[in-house]
Amino acid sequence: MSTIDSILYGFEVALTWQNIMFVFIGVLAGTVIGMLPGLGPISAIAVMIPLSYGMPASSALILMAGVYYGAIFGGSTSSVLLNAPGIASTVATTFDGYPLARQGKAGKALATAAVASFIGGTFATIGLMLVAPQLSKVALSFGPSEYFALMLLGLTAIASLSEGSTVKAFISATVGIMVATIGIDSQTGTQRFTFGATKLLDGIDFLVIALGLFALAEVTTLIISRKESLFQKGSNIGSLKITKEEVKEMAAPVGRQSVMGFFIGVLPGAGATIASFLAYITEKKLSKNPDSFGKGNIVGVAAPESANNAAAGGSFVPLLTLGIPGSGTTAIMLGALLVVGVQPGPMLLTDHPDVFWGVIASMYIGNIMLLVLNLPLIPYLARILYIPKGMLISLILIFCLVGVYGVNFSQFDLYVLIIFGVIGYLMRILSFPAAPFILAFILGGMMEQSFRQALTISNGNLSIFVERPVSLALLLVALASLFVPLILGKLTKRKNGANAA
Amino acid sequence: MKQKKNLFLIIMLLTLGAILTACSSGDGKEAEKPAVGGSDAAAGDWKPTKPIEFIAPSGAGGGWDTTARASSKVLEEEKIVEQRFAVVNKPGGGGAIGWSYIDSKDTDDHLLFATSPPIMFVPLNNQSDLGHQDFTPIAALTADYGAFLVKADSPFDTMNDLVEAMKKDPTSISVVGTSSPGSMDHMQFVKAVHAAGVDAKSVKYVSSQDSAGMTMLLGGQVEVYSTDVGEAVEQYRAGNVKVLAVTAEERIEGDVVSEFPTLKEQDIDDSFVIWRGIMGPKNMSKEAAAFYENALKEMSETEAWKAELERYGWDGNWMGSEEFKSFLDKDYESIKSLMEEMGLR
Repeated sequence: MSTIDSILYGFEVALTWQNIMFVFIGVLAGTVIGMLPGLGPISAIAVMIPLSYGMPASSALILMAGVYYGAIFGGSTSSVLLNAPGIASTVATTFDGYPLARQGKAGKALATAAVASFIGGTFATIGLMLVAPQLSKVALSFGPSEYFALMLLGLTAIASLSEGSTVKAFISATVGIMVATIGIDSQTGTQRFTFGATKLLDGIDFLVIALGLFALAEVTTLIISRKESLFQKGSNIGSLKITKEEVKEMAAPVGRQSVMGFFIGVLPGAGATIASFLAYITEKKLSKNPDSFGKGNIVGVAAPESANNAAAGGSFVPLLTLGIPGSGTTAIMLGALLVVGVQPGPMLLTDHPDVFWGVIASMYIGNIMLLVLNLPLIPYLARILYIPKGMLISLILIFCLVGVYGVNFSQFDLYVLIIFGVIGYLMRILSFPAAPFILAFILGGMMEQSFRQALTISNGNLSIFVERPVSLALLLVALASLFVPLILGKLTKRKNGANAA
Repeated sequence: MKQKKNLFLIIMLLTLGAILTACSSGDGKEAEKPAVGGSDAAAGDWKPTKPIEFIAPSGAGGGWDTTARASSKVLEEEKIVEQRFAVVNKPGGGGAIGWSYIDSKDTDDHLLFATSPPIMFVPLNNQSDLGHQDFTPIAALTADYGAFLVKADSPFDTMNDLVEAMKKDPTSISVVGTSSPGSMDHMQFVKAVHAAGVDAKSVKYVSSQDSAGMTMLLGGQVEVYSTDVGEAVEQYRAGNVKVLAVTAEERIEGDVVSEFPTLKEQDIDDSFVIWRGIMGPKNMSKEAAAFYENALKEMSETEAWKAELERYGWDGNWMGSEEFKSFLDKDYESIKSLMEEMGLR
């Protein structure tokens, strides 16, 4: 079959009324689950596995894929409105989304998130259709040394996430890396910083930290500040209007981050969360106006949202072409495929083209449904901010507690959440930024493991990092991103000095 | 065929970020129990009086979870047990969190859990205070085997080629697995090459818990991937990998899997079963344990259970309580002594 035939065949599968229904149910369930902090796509898909007994394999995967990208689509809502990330991959969306909401621009932020998500998701779908089989080579080309270099590149952005003191940003990041090492070290099997507590063996869940540092800290600040009104009230809070200038401003970042997010999604183990962070920091670095990031820059919403949705699509590349799950969510889907009698693996495209092409085509339909479903809802969702302060605060608290409890059904996680809420609040008072903490937590753990894996393979020889071209290139970019701003800064100063003299 | 079971294992690993998956059993009070090996009605009059809590010490979708769900489904639908089974997931710590929950209700007659070899590996690595001795083994139900893969273009064609290379220069061979050193992926490989005369301490092992084991093998970053038969089949069919050996005693029956050579036929005297079974709390009453053993025996003989085996690609591997316990004790000792030799303990 030629590509065109295959794609048409995919739509044939996806456009049966049953499958349209499954896409709809999937994206609807996904959006709702995504909006609720804590509940993520993994638990939602796990719940659906027993339901998929007896379903055709293509329908089952269409349903579950819908839940996955639906959740990533919907996750931005609570990030923007409540500073409580709905799922891990929308944490970066809070950085600018919530400030926008506080400025009375919630509708605009949500609309931007929806459109950027749609573009990212659609781009990924097209990418999947055209180059999925070829891309599997990209997924394989990334070994531990490349992952290390990529994570290091991400970490060089710490300084750029500081709000004032760079030293404080680095302290915050260092603590983030330390927290990431809690649990069983996978390279030696020894326990680190668990103090003998069984509950700490798996480390601390990313989402628990994110909800603590962002949502709970915010709530605490609100309670203590006793300000009457949380949000600048305007009649246009639900207005979706995005100006022409803003469209212009966002076009390039959304385009870039759709591409970058898709490729990061393709890499097994990287995924939507890392893609969204890298998107945010890249756009901040490239921006002419980096200082406005974190204070309600619309690009700060658009970039991570296009990247995380593109990455969600990209993560289907290793799953469908190699039978390798690139993330926890796709791993669960792999299990679900077994239940419905399909052996996932490199032969999937040959043995079950209906699953392969049907799912990809359904993602295209699903993305359109998500946009149509979400845009009209925004004015209503935004009205949540009109709820009186006392009630809103209680609601956020309940959502966070229920959501975190829902991850592992563990009371212990609730204590951890509260501890991180307190830490987050103290960090605010002492003006330590939380973003470097969370960035270091997510990148640091993987960076350390990759570094040690690479050294085991090379028998301790550091040259493995520079002998491999991709790794070398990434390291050079990391170096450049650290030093170029410094040198440029010095040059400008000198020039200014010369001019003054 | 057993292919799929392991995929489930791996999935579970991934989702939890935990270390091990699989099953096991163990038992404390066995010695006091009457031998219940048979399937006759020796269990006496004990019957469950309320729904039975069936723990999968892992997230949904993993091997323990599917074992618990599939067996409780058949037990209920075939009306072998009249009470309902409530499957509850208690993920975390590679099983340790679920085990400590079960240990906290150690006289409960309405509590079971699904398990596999990690119940030996996790405590041996000091990642849990509880091991198979702290529970009542009721029955082993299924079996799977380890598999050692190399890339299709690898210079190694047999396990012995690999062993020779490792003897010559152990630093030239990196082995990847999806769990930490001292856990199942690692030890099944070390056990095999150790039996072939390789210094167990020299094996260079990389742990890749983010599911990148196969990626690292296919991408050429490592030479060998230690996994299970389930993960090998599809990549083998696609011509991406060679299977140097599986850890079964004899060739596994089935379409593709029968092509995989065993260690034994390559003159390496070693085998390793990834068994999966059901256990209860340590001080469960003898009557209750006998009741469940008989019920599971009856279940394992139904057509409905055979259909479940087929669905998940598992092999039947029935062991009654006594046999299961002595099997566990023996396996535990051999792994423990190897780990001591390697300095892992």
